[in-house]
Amino acid sequence: MVQVILCGRGGQGIVFLTRLMGEIATQKGMDVISSETHGMAVRGGSINSHLKIGSFSSPLIIAGHADYLVSLDESETCNNEHFLRRGGIVFENSLLPSKAGLLRVDAAGLARAIGRIQLENVVLLGFSASMADLGVSFCDIKDKLAVETREEVRSYNLAALKAGQEAADQLKVLKFH
Amino acid sequence: MGNEAIARGVIEAGCSVATAYPGTPSSEVMESLTRWKKELDHEIYLEWSINEKVAFEVAYGASLAGRRSAVAMKMVGLNVASDPFMSAAYLGVRGGLVVIVADDPGPHSSQTEQDSRFFAWFAKIPVYDPGSPAEALTMTLKAFEMSEKYHVPVMLRPCLRVCHARQNVTFSTPSRPVDVGEFEKNWTRWAATPKFRLVLHGELNQKIENLTLAEPDARPRLVAGGSKSRLAIVTSGSVSSHVMDIVTSFPEISDLSVYKVDIPYPLSQKDLQEIVDISERTLIVEETYPVIELQSSNRTKIMGRLSGHVPLQGELSPETVERIIRQFTGAEDSPEIEPKVKARRPSLCAGCPHRPTFYMIRKLFDDAIYTGDIGCYTLGVNLSAVDTCLCMGASIGMACGFSKATAGTHKKSQIVATIGDSTFFHAGVPALINAVHTGANFVLVLLDNNITAMTGGQPTPATRYAADGSTAVSVNLERLITGCGVDFLEVVDPYDYDSLEDSLTRAKTYSIDQGTGVSVVIARRPCIRTVKPFPKALVFEVGANCNRCMTCVRDLECPAISFVKEDKMVKIDSDQCSGCGFCVKVCPEHAISARGG
Repeated sequence: MVQVILCGRGGQGIVFLTRLMGEIATQKGMDVISSETHGMAVRGGSINSHLKIGSFSSPLIIAGHADYLVSLDESETCNNEHFLRRGGIVFENSLLPSKAGLLRVDAAGLARAIGRIQLENVVLLGFSASMADLGVSFCDIKDKLAVETREEVRSYNLAALKAGQEAADQLKVLKFH
Repeated sequence: MGNEAIARGVIEAGCSVATAYPGTPSSEVMESLTRWKKELDHEIYLEWSINEKVAFEVAYGASLAGRRSAVAMKMVGLNVASDPFMSAAYLGVRGGLVVIVADDPGPHSSQTEQDSRFFAWFAKIPVYDPGSPAEALTMTLKAFEMSEKYHVPVMLRPCLRVCHARQNVTFSTPSRPVDVGEFEKNWTRWAATPKFRLVLHGELNQKIENLTLAEPDARPRLVAGGSKSRLAIVTSGSVSSHVMDIVTSFPEISDLSVYKVDIPYPLSQKDLQEIVDISERTLIVEETYPVIELQSSNRTKIMGRLSGHVPLQGELSPETVERIIRQFTGAEDSPEIEPKVKARRPSLCAGCPHRPTFYMIRKLFDDAIYTGDIGCYTLGVNLSAVDTCLCMGASIGMACGFSKATAGTHKKSQIVATIGDSTFFHAGVPALINAVHTGANFVLVLLDNNITAMTGGQPTPATRYAADGSTAVSVNLERLITGCGVDFLEVVDPYDYDSLEDSLTRAKTYSIDQGTGVSVVIARRPCIRTVKPFPKALVFEVGANCNRCMTCVRDLECPAISFVKEDKMVKIDSDQCSGCGFCVKVCPEHAISARGG
């Protein structure tokens, strides 16, 4: 049973990540329930998704029960920290250095380097899934993204995922994991 | 997604006609229908209707023609469709008719948090209240069966937490289109005069009574705990799934029976009362109004909204439900978690064509009343260019009211109304005819992006394609407006600073200075989300001659432009900038320039 909050600003691709992970978990035969933000808020407002893998009824995570918080925006981390359980881990898109329980990656910078700022969500996912068991493994995510038929989209996504993984490997050397 | 599951149910039920008007959280029902239609090569007619009233009537016509039909909308859409909705309950249906109404407790993206189950009760129409996407699918199928069995429309009322939840769901093979036979004329039913309506009301009452006695879904069913517990919880809909997770997550919450209600109206009052009678106390948790609670005949042992134990407004979050249940069972309170939430406000997209229009309205009509409407462009509030927002189409009706109330007085009498193209089609046209006819004086700016943008880009009556992508007749906005009797009509590209300024100035002279009547300016440019107007080759920058006057930051409110405190400089974020270049014209110091290209 894994409970993950994903958050960011409208337009950053939170819904894409949630669906991607949900689809993978479903294909693996796990029970998944999740909740997304739509409507007015997607015009740059605060966005969060709840993803619960296991035998749950409600799509929402009770405050203090999330295992992980995956955040594409520093200021949105504050808005969602209350969902984390004690010992829960934050994965954050940020230029700042990591510390215990708060693992950071410059996902925006890496995405820009690949050529598309829109890839920051996939970079952060590659980073997070390399550091912890989010319910779906890094390899599962890689396999899923590799099925994309549009050549350009596929190669961009895989490059972003890999960039996230490499950032995680560098961090692991620093023994934050 | 819950809305996809509902759409799947509509397809599996052998429905032939489905209609909708977009509105969060319901919009994905029709979008998913178009997808299933294509993927399964399934025979079904789909339409994005002009508004919910018409959508309901199209579905109702199809039902009388003997086919199963469905109509989807958000709860405030039901207000618009309430006229045919109420009457259809009396007349009844032939082919099963399911009315899908998505509620938005919170509210997250709506004007009200009204409970459509109450509307169903008001109309005497049975209502299913799904608690999850999986349940939404099975209930959709049941709703069609029930509608045909009792000859009455049936409502499916999912809340946002069902509509926008995703869950693994089991599919079945879609049925062939159901046909109950050719329409047979019978004016005492289908065109009943008041005398016969009385008879029909009696028939409706009988249908509801029969249904309550015969249908197991109208009785609360035990879903957790034993039937002989000291305490009972009766719940329904999306909040029932929070209750289930809480009851199973916390061992200290025990000695409890949880009952779920699938049809909150009409509810078997006898069965509800039995639960209340055998339990020491009963807690009723439902969203958003006390529909189950009010149907209980003796409420002395019931805790709920009417007794003050459940908040009267706001979404019932898992945390709120947990607190209510702990209080109810006497379990120890869990440590209260105080979220430090400072939510980011939504904003028009960078490059949104509405932004220049709002900017120019503010520039030219400095001391005006700005009546606004429902859509992305309600976000004109961020530019201080929207003062009112009541309901679909109200910008024009209210502008007329402001015009009449301020004429000949010392009150502010400059009035500028803004409305989007889809909203104008939906409810603005009668209001415009009314304003023209009564000689009101205001400027109407029609923000025409050729799409229903807020809800995800659905077609409008002006679009050349229909819901499923097939060819549609494009209704010409200019001819429509001229047909409403408007004599001043101009069309302008909002990215074109000078033309926009000139056009709005002429409209001001016509309506405000000279008081000749309503003037209409169509600010036309496709939504930035559908058409990327510029390659990202141009990079816009703020030069050294910027004197930090903040005109761009304050008056344009573009998400790409901000004042960076650390550097004490105004900066343009190239990640967000769309390259529209309107800020270049706005800067009084001419400090913004484009590089590259």
